Amino acid sequence: MAQLIFITGGVRSGKSRFAERRAASLREQGTLHYLACGEPSDEEMKERIRRHQHDRAAKNVPWETVECPTDIGSAAASLNEHSVVLLDCVTTLLSNELFQKDGTLQQETKQKIQSGIEKLRERANALIIVSNELTFEPLTSGVESYARQLGELHQWIVSEADEAYLVENGVPRLMKGAGV
Amino acid sequence: MHFVTGGAYNGKSKWVKNFYGLTEDHCWKSAYDQTKIPLNVSRFYGDVVVLEGVEQWLKGLTVESGLEECRAIWQSLLGIWRTWESERHERTVVIIGTDITKGIVPMEKEERDWRDLTGWAYQDLAAVADRVDVIWYGLNQQLK
Repeated sequence: MAQLIFITGGVRSGKSRFAERRAASLREQGTLHYLACGEPSDEEMKERIRRHQHDRAAKNVPWETVECPTDIGSAAASLNEHSVVLLDCVTTLLSNELFQKDGTLQQETKQKIQSGIEKLRERANALIIVSNELTFEPLTSGVESYARQLGELHQWIVSEADEAYLVENGVPRLMKGAGV
Repeated sequence: MHFVTGGAYNGKSKWVKNFYGLTEDHCWKSAYDQTKIPLNVSRFYGDVVVLEGVEQWLKGLTVESGLEECRAIWQSLLGIWRTWESERHERTVVIIGTDITKGIVPMEKEERDWRDLTGWAYQDLAAVADRVDVIWYGLNQQLK
């Protein structure tokens, strides 16, 4: 079973950067697999993704990007016992799974994402999961179900994780495990 | 008195159940079950009483009264609960409150009042509590 590392934080907190560094430090041989859950819906999103790609390319580490907007478990087939996998990020994955293009709302996607994570862990050497912090505001009824499933997913990932970090202002705080 | 806080859906209630080993019948009053704010401590039983979702009870108070009055009511409630607790050494009142105070200040006065009161109420609670924990996805950080 692959080592599991959970990294969360706010928007632009430096969590992806830290996750990429952590992934590179775990690499012994072979490629780093980047499972990108984001689907560019407008120019700003495209620019955001380009910036992330540029940041990764600039570090002289062999990254292989796999576009994975839904069904992350399907990426397991291309992994082996040397693979270090970075999944970015749970919030986007959950929205993609919940709000399918045909407009139907998927009721319980939490199970599907959990089993996808398990499939990745069965094949890989290490799995790093990035996510975004939940809100600290009262929830409106429209986002209640999304927030509940995200919160429950985060709780499950943290309980399974060997290491968990909360990144704020670029500074990772170790919440669980022994750290680096 | 033990104050347990953190964001929504971070596993606060689950943590409290584990921490106190609450497996059998116990006194658990939750605002999420539409229970009214527990004024009558004669209905409390057992050593550990859990009051869950206080942010919802606080919101209810703001509908009836002005902010200053709400805070005075809250402080007297804390007094009532602490008195019940102090009657027996084994007793603990655990208060679970979701942190709703870190968003954009809303335009609507009612929404602002709710956040204001909740922030003050949590300060008052933390000041008198023997222990305060923040829960982050099932992990606790003890603040006091």
